[in-house]
Amino acid sequence: MKEIVTIQVGSYANFVGSHFWNFQDELLGLADSPESDQIFKSHGLNMDVLYRTGETPQGILTYTPRLVSVDFQGSLGSVSSRGTLYNEIPETPVDTLTWTGPVTTHTSQPLKKNLFLQSLYLEENANLGSSRGCESENSDSHTEVQDEDIVQSLENEVQYWTDYSKVHYHPQSLYELSGLWSEINDFNNYGIGREAFSGGQHAEEINERLRFFVEECDLPQGIQFVVDDSGGFSGIAGEFLENIADEYTNIPVLLYSVHSPDSGMDSRNRKLAISRKLHDAVSFSKLSAFCKLIVPVGLPSLNTSRMSKYLCLEDRKPYHTSAVYASAIHSISLPFRMQPLGPSAQLSNTSGAVKIKDLVQMLAGQARQNMVTILDIAMPAPAFTGTQAQQSLLEILQPLTPEIAEGVEDMQALESMTVHGAFASGMQKSHSFEVKDAVQAAYLNAVERPKFSHLSIAQCPLPIPLPFPSIFGNLIGRNGELLDTPISESTSRGSLEVHSVPMAARLRSSNAVLPFLENRLANLRKFGLARGALGTELLRNWGFGKEDAEELGEALSNMVTTLNPASLESSDSD
Amino acid sequence: MSLKVLNPNAEVLNKSHALHMNINAAKGLQDVLKSNLGPKGTIKMLVGGAGDIKLTKDGNTLLKEMQIQSPTAIMIARTAVAQDDTSGDGTTSTVIFIGELMKQAERCIDEGMHPRVLVDGFEIAKRATLQYLEKFKTPVVMGDEPDKEILKMVARTTLRTKLYEALADQLTDIVVNAVLCIRKPEEPIDLFMVEIMHMRHKFDVDTRLVEGLVLDHGSRHPDMKRRAENCHILTCNVSLEYEKSEINAGFFYSNAEQREAMVAAERRSVDERVQKIIDLKNKVLKLSFLDEDDKLFTCFAVKDNNPYCHFQVCADNDNNFVIINQKGIDPPSLDILARAGIIALRRAKRRNMERLVLACGGEAVNSVDDLTPDCLGWAGLVYEHVLGEEKYTFVENVKIHIPVQSSLKIKDAVRDGLRGVKNTIEDEAVVLGAGAFEVAARQHLVNEVKKTVKGRAQLGVEAFADALLVVPKILAENSGLDTQDVIIELTGEHDKGNVVGLNLHTGEPIDPQMEGIFDNYSVKRQIINSGPVIASQLLLVDEVIRAGRNMRKPT
Repeated sequence: MKEIVTIQVGSYANFVGSHFWNFQDELLGLADSPESDQIFKSHGLNMDVLYRTGETPQGILTYTPRLVSVDFQGSLGSVSSRGTLYNEIPETPVDTLTWTGPVTTHTSQPLKKNLFLQSLYLEENANLGSSRGCESENSDSHTEVQDEDIVQSLENEVQYWTDYSKVHYHPQSLYELSGLWSEINDFNNYGIGREAFSGGQHAEEINERLRFFVEECDLPQGIQFVVDDSGGFSGIAGEFLENIADEYTNIPVLLYSVHSPDSGMDSRNRKLAISRKLHDAVSFSKLSAFCKLIVPVGLPSLNTSRMSKYLCLEDRKPYHTSAVYASAIHSISLPFRMQPLGPSAQLSNTSGAVKIKDLVQMLAGQARQNMVTILDIAMPAPAFTGTQAQQSLLEILQPLTPEIAEGVEDMQALESMTVHGAFASGMQKSHSFEVKDAVQAAYLNAVERPKFSHLSIAQCPLPIPLPFPSIFGNLIGRNGELLDTPISESTSRGSLEVHSVPMAARLRSSNAVLPFLENRLANLRKFGLARGALGTELLRNWGFGKEDAEELGEALSNMVTTLNPASLESSDSD
Repeated sequence: MSLKVLNPNAEVLNKSHALHMNINAAKGLQDVLKSNLGPKGTIKMLVGGAGDIKLTKDGNTLLKEMQIQSPTAIMIARTAVAQDDTSGDGTTSTVIFIGELMKQAERCIDEGMHPRVLVDGFEIAKRATLQYLEKFKTPVVMGDEPDKEILKMVARTTLRTKLYEALADQLTDIVVNAVLCIRKPEEPIDLFMVEIMHMRHKFDVDTRLVEGLVLDHGSRHPDMKRRAENCHILTCNVSLEYEKSEINAGFFYSNAEQREAMVAAERRSVDERVQKIIDLKNKVLKLSFLDEDDKLFTCFAVKDNNPYCHFQVCADNDNNFVIINQKGIDPPSLDILARAGIIALRRAKRRNMERLVLACGGEAVNSVDDLTPDCLGWAGLVYEHVLGEEKYTFVENVKIHIPVQSSLKIKDAVRDGLRGVKNTIEDEAVVLGAGAFEVAARQHLVNEVKKTVKGRAQLGVEAFADALLVVPKILAENSGLDTQDVIIELTGEHDKGNVVGLNLHTGEPIDPQMEGIFDNYSVKRQIINSGPVIASQLLLVDEVIRAGRNMRKPT
């Protein structure tokens, strides 16, 4: 077995992660449920890759994500960091036994659980109490009403990423950073994060937790690392990654550095703007140094992007935007979990299994060795009906990586695409060979063609769990099919109306990412390295002396030259 | 106001406001922590928004759990936490001392004294107090055999402020023995060599000293032994995992045979590594089988300065072989090892690798190419303890180590206790506790030092002296005694020339020496050093500027 350990560092990374795990939980639930579609029952994915089997002290078996999550103290909202599965703490804590003196109690205002979490809680108790048969029938109409309320309340109230999480986590999974003593707004640069991580016990504790999950793995295929790179958390992630690279030399890290749409907004004052630009450059340079493949994710605005044709996203709600990113990460992660099959794989539910190491090798290990990849997504993926649609798949793919060039020609581009749950003509799920043919045809017709493209196909579409935000437009049908005419009056449709969505996602290593790299390099040079630059002092405060800063610049410019050898001599490239 | 011109959003607090903001913050922090102090303090139960319960009596932990917002308070908290990092204890005392200095300063400043003069007075008093501390401390001779009694007293004093008496007394021996275990002459004590292992299912009183190691994981193969005696330990950092990619998009291999060949070749190289370890095992176990001839025995005697080794190797031949690997071991390798009767643990903590070598002897190997019997360590007993999904492997009958089993709060207490003992050994001195030093130093400042100071700085010295009294005052307050009575009684005794501390049960003066209440010299020195520095900095602030935010509003 080839296990993956997932790490989420930072608030936005956890928002994304929470959606990601909801998908997995939904897949698990659908596979067990008798009513669900055949496709979900035999999805052909090995969930053990992401999940671990455990046992509580009471001997109850558990199945929890193999996950380490790091966030601010208090970011878990009304959910306990130890989860509820391993809840062995009795009502009156035994711990008081160690002190016979007086006890003072400081109670923070208990946070109210929202409707969704309340319903989860009730469901759990009902499951424990009653036999399963009676609950589904008699309360059907009753729950229907409630579900709508839940969706509505989630739309309006989500504040913490736990508010919409339906997953049980292992007590070792959720780690809160205590004793930071800084306001969230001030925790906005690489230096402060780095400081927070190196001081105190945090580093050791977090490494210990990772070790806990890695030790159980028979043959880990890699680490899937999601970091919120908009603030101090990239400093924490940087240090953490360095440790990982040191400790687990053979385990490749696939890094998604996610950025929420709003985090670039408040640059009213100049100092802050410089600090932010430097931070972006520093954190990108640092993060890319210790991973095998880095995928920058996070458009400045999703609402104004091409995606708005089918999705209605509110940029200021991380609950909305993170759902899109999570869907993309889910799609990319599918090939890691497919069972490798023999030559008869053509007719199975999945094809094109790839391990993280292979993916890295494929995209970054070949001739050009470019490790910065672009993430594209088609949500929902179009149906492969006629020749017209084939064209549209490549067109509909929307980059989630910011600051990239469009329409550049790159003879050496490498791609890995995952298509899952796509429709053939009508409402028929298309078979993998149909998809393969269709994609091939699409590439043949396309103007820009990559040098190499890998295709993974699964039949199982993206399941939409109840707590998924209502982001679908009215051109999307119940099973994610694209409609020609709006289906309803309301502009946004959620998990109650849309049950699953076909998806296509693609990682591509192309020189289209050059502007992204060049911007960071230019900012670092302009504000940090140039003589008398405004940010030199800032960099020093973050713990980067002149030489360190130059090293960071060196790393960035190496990445640029990898993609564009001409940039050394002239700015003119073909 | 010129700042207003530069930035209309900037918020400026003028002199008196700024000062009072700082003083209030310091007092606020003091108020939160003061009930913690001493063996009669209260334990704090923190209930989080999600209903999580945390119990702590450790100032350090408490500070970290609080979400402090005031910049002044953060500054004080940082100092206090740094205090803990450097000397291991005294977080609460630092916060209280700074708070009291600010309080005394407030009184003087309200009477029209300039902060600068006050700060000068603090500086003089600080230096005098430190000098006095040098005189006052009780030297302890640390020869080859440290005085265990005095170490125990120090440990007990620390532990009793964190745990109830019976438990504290029980842990005292453990803590002292643990430190003595890892102490090596002429070298600083490395407390990382002591691990505090937290086992959730055990009770506080089950805490014990394990002379050896406890690893928080076990072997991952059902056929491996769960308990083994007389173990050769191989500590290594060698990957026993099959690593290359298996299935690929066809272009890595031109045909299936080629792929098969590469897979087989890679698998073979892993197997070879495993085989080398098994070879070593066979070689070593044969050696010990021959031990009865006494010929090859020297091999062990050199490697192990452990008495068990000699005894047991001679006594029986039932030896075992254990691998503790920092890297991974995959199931096929585990299989081979299990068949060879070897116990294998994978992904050991890096720190445990160092500890293993120290505890069991031998050396950590990074490659299987240069394996010799000399690389091996020895442990008399290795066994596994399983509860639910938690597994622990005990490596015992070696030289050192302590895992202590129980809740987090104990962990803090034990940690402080260990540091206390370590400090004592390194300081070669202790200070009389129960407030004795504070009262004595205060009397010294008021009676002697003050007279040598000219001008208004005298008031600064006096303020400092009064601030010192905060420790006995709060000790008394937490015990429900009348503070004024206590202070008068104590200072009276000191003026008579008797060095006394406070008996928290009766409120009577006692002799700390007789009661065995000792504090750390370095902790005390650190408090007296850092407290006034921060207080002075805060007092000398005359304008607080913060761009774009309103700081008078409560957040």
